[in-house]
Amino acid sequence: MASGNEISRRTFLSRGAVTGGAVVLGAAASTALAGCSTGNSGSSSSTTASGSKPGVGTGTPVRGGSLTVGTVAEIDGFYPPMNHWDTNGYLYANAVYDPLMAVGADGTIKPYLAQSISSNSTYDAWTMTLRPGVKFSDGSALTSAVVKANFDALRGSPLTGTALKQVASVTTPDAMTVVFTLTGPNPTFPAGLTSQVGYVVGEAMIQQASIPGTTPKPVGTGPFIFAEWQPNDHFTATRNPHYWRSGLPYLDQITFKPIPDTVQREATLKTGGVDMIESTDPGTINRFSGQSGYQLVDSRTGVIGEPTTGFIMLNTAVAPTNDLRIRQALAKGLDTAQIQKIFGGGFAKPVNGLFLPGSPYYSKTDYPTYDPAEAKALVNEYKAQHGTPTLQLITITDPRLAQLVQIVQQMWNQVGFDISVKTVQQASIITEFVTGSFQAATSYQFGTVNPDLNYVWWSTTTISPVGGIGLNFTRLDDPQIETAMLAGRAATDQQTRVASYQKVNQRLSQDLPYLWIEQYLFSEVAQNRVQNFNNVTLPDGSPGYSFNEGQFFPTQIWMAG
Amino acid sequence: MTKYLIRRFIQLVVVAFIISVLVFLLVHLLPGDPSVTILGPNDTAQNRTILLHQLGLNKPLWNQYTIWLTAVFHGNLGQSYLNHESVTHILATGAPIDIELIVLSQIVAFAVAIPLALVTSRRPNRPLDNVASTGTFGLLAMPPFVIAPIMVAVFAVGLHWFPATGYVPFTKDPAANLHDMVLPALAITAGSIAVYYRLLRSDLISTLQEDFITMARSKGLSNRRIMLRHAFRPSTFSLLAAAGVNIGALLAGTFIVEWLFAISGLGYSLVVSVQQRDYLVVQGISLVVAIAYVFLQFVVDFLFTVVDPRVIRE
Repeated sequence: MASGNEISRRTFLSRGAVTGGAVVLGAAASTALAGCSTGNSGSSSSTTASGSKPGVGTGTPVRGGSLTVGTVAEIDGFYPPMNHWDTNGYLYANAVYDPLMAVGADGTIKPYLAQSISSNSTYDAWTMTLRPGVKFSDGSALTSAVVKANFDALRGSPLTGTALKQVASVTTPDAMTVVFTLTGPNPTFPAGLTSQVGYVVGEAMIQQASIPGTTPKPVGTGPFIFAEWQPNDHFTATRNPHYWRSGLPYLDQITFKPIPDTVQREATLKTGGVDMIESTDPGTINRFSGQSGYQLVDSRTGVIGEPTTGFIMLNTAVAPTNDLRIRQALAKGLDTAQIQKIFGGGFAKPVNGLFLPGSPYYSKTDYPTYDPAEAKALVNEYKAQHGTPTLQLITITDPRLAQLVQIVQQMWNQVGFDISVKTVQQASIITEFVTGSFQAATSYQFGTVNPDLNYVWWSTTTISPVGGIGLNFTRLDDPQIETAMLAGRAATDQQTRVASYQKVNQRLSQDLPYLWIEQYLFSEVAQNRVQNFNNVTLPDGSPGYSFNEGQFFPTQIWMAG
Repeated sequence: MTKYLIRRFIQLVVVAFIISVLVFLLVHLLPGDPSVTILGPNDTAQNRTILLHQLGLNKPLWNQYTIWLTAVFHGNLGQSYLNHESVTHILATGAPIDIELIVLSQIVAFAVAIPLALVTSRRPNRPLDNVASTGTFGLLAMPPFVIAPIMVAVFAVGLHWFPATGYVPFTKDPAANLHDMVLPALAITAGSIAVYYRLLRSDLISTLQEDFITMARSKGLSNRRIMLRHAFRPSTFSLLAAAGVNIGALLAGTFIVEWLFAISGLGYSLVVSVQQRDYLVVQGISLVVAIAYVFLQFVVDFLFTVVDPRVIRE
């Protein structure tokens, strides 16, 4: 379910999980195993009054000008090993950094900052050759030593280290070659390098970050150079005159301004205060569809692979949600059809698992349907042993989410629960997730082409006791999921992969750590003079995945006169 | 008067000390390891050890307080664990926004409330008074989060007179700054106008029934002179007290307006920090706002003595 205000930060479910998820996600498929689109391949659903494809530039690119983007929320920093990147984090990162790999329009993984990557026959060692002649914004060169220093920092970080557990070692046979040795086979390893861990920063930044309490300024190879960041006000970057992609970027300057309130963000676009906005409110799609003067791009169709999904997450390590009967009662007591009717804005798609119909991984599961009578019976059974199940549902500061959780609270109270609601900021909710300090929480996550990139969220190896840092937020300890995920990772044939991930989906529908609500919708609206924000071309000349769940590359955007 | 002010100042210092102790204890009252509270759960064990050493968190509480207070006097209020921005910098960028919002809104509030009260109090319950009273009741009933979107819809989106969001520092571009601040300032002005108008009007009506006003009238003084020279000053006691409380409440209390207009003032920073459990930022802003509030009341106390010297004797 998409959210309305998207506080800051930001919408129906908290972006917290996405931030954490971003550590290892991206949205990618391996070169060998391409993902597939649930709609028009490689491009998002979009409309424009003039009939031309929105976000695709027409005419000759124009050099110069500045672009101001109104974002949903602020980020907590630019340093990949330490900060939580959500959609906004990637927007900022795509301005000043480059990823080692990127997702193509067809879902395949293509080299970006890397020139090439290949594996051994057992897929447990990957050799990457770096692109020559690339300089960071401080003038230093991109070398294998820098990439190794990045991975050393990433692997040493409590935040990203867990996500890179599979990397046994990183070696540098020569100045431009990096070898990643893995603990086991992984044909989809390059997909992970499209995410937060694949964004390379300069050594100067790593050194800055090693001093406790310092805010490292971005040193990247990206199309723009960091100029100024005033948190909660704006982030500005100026054109990198020495950018390695010849002739790019077109813009002289790009500025991101967090405007937490959706209505105000839209008003700012209409008054010319910004040139473009992002949104996770389905109302934005409704209000700008077919409106002249604006280009709308959204994720109703064209999502490659697994969509970002809104859900209520349950902690399986704390009472009462550690009891399967309680999780079943919560699922059966939740009238998602009613919720979508109220909050979906007419656009939201219902989901009852990780995959949408049309995906090769999609299959029917045993996910419970709405059945309040059965929910009541389960609650009564629990009540007889332990008393009334008391539960706190946490969410982020978002007016629409506040309404949603009230309705959920009502539904659950009606079947016998005693539900209280707590509202926190996005950054805080991530902390609650990581440390397992919650019972139930709204969230959204899992948007990716390659299901393997979601391994850390469900693995038995990423569970920590409550209070410790663990990326398996729900603390669901299901060996069958672990086995299926590892089988899917190691599989070199599509049939085994599909069977593995269908198994994961089925187990999740039985374990019920997540109560699915609906597909989470992202949208971008731009004034007509903003050209080419939905038409990225990768360094090899092939089309890229331009609108990746709200993220875009600013490299090839220009402003029409 | 000096004795009175010294007494008040001593009270101010005592209250400031109590505030500093309470604010200091904020981090220590929270459960768990203070280094996790300050740095967040994602930082390294090495950094936690360094922080414990830097802040003396392994020393007795009174010793920690003196270390913290000494740092405060040196302008070091710590830093945000989220983005490592220093609290002093957050205050330096946020406070001017709040101060400007308050100054602009109060100028407008006084400029509207005082003349309106002077005019309507002369003829209470007449049509103009009734209209003004009803209007101010209406303003009181409209909180900033209602007024702001309406103003944006009309003056920004509809008429394109003002921007819907944004802020340019006064030092960077004074004209653009004032242009940006019109709508936010007006959004928080409405409530102040209503309170100030109603208090001043009722005090003026009461004052105009005093013997010295009858005496002034019998001397043939003009209405204008009676209102401005004789009635206004003794009627401002409640106004001053209300302004003191109101301005104090606006210190970091303009969160909703700052949120809606995407202006990162102190109120915005404070609320976001509370939600993000960025305790050193909460601690720093709370300390400065509380001290500023106490100081503001000291100034109001001083103004009471100017308006009515009898206060000193009492």
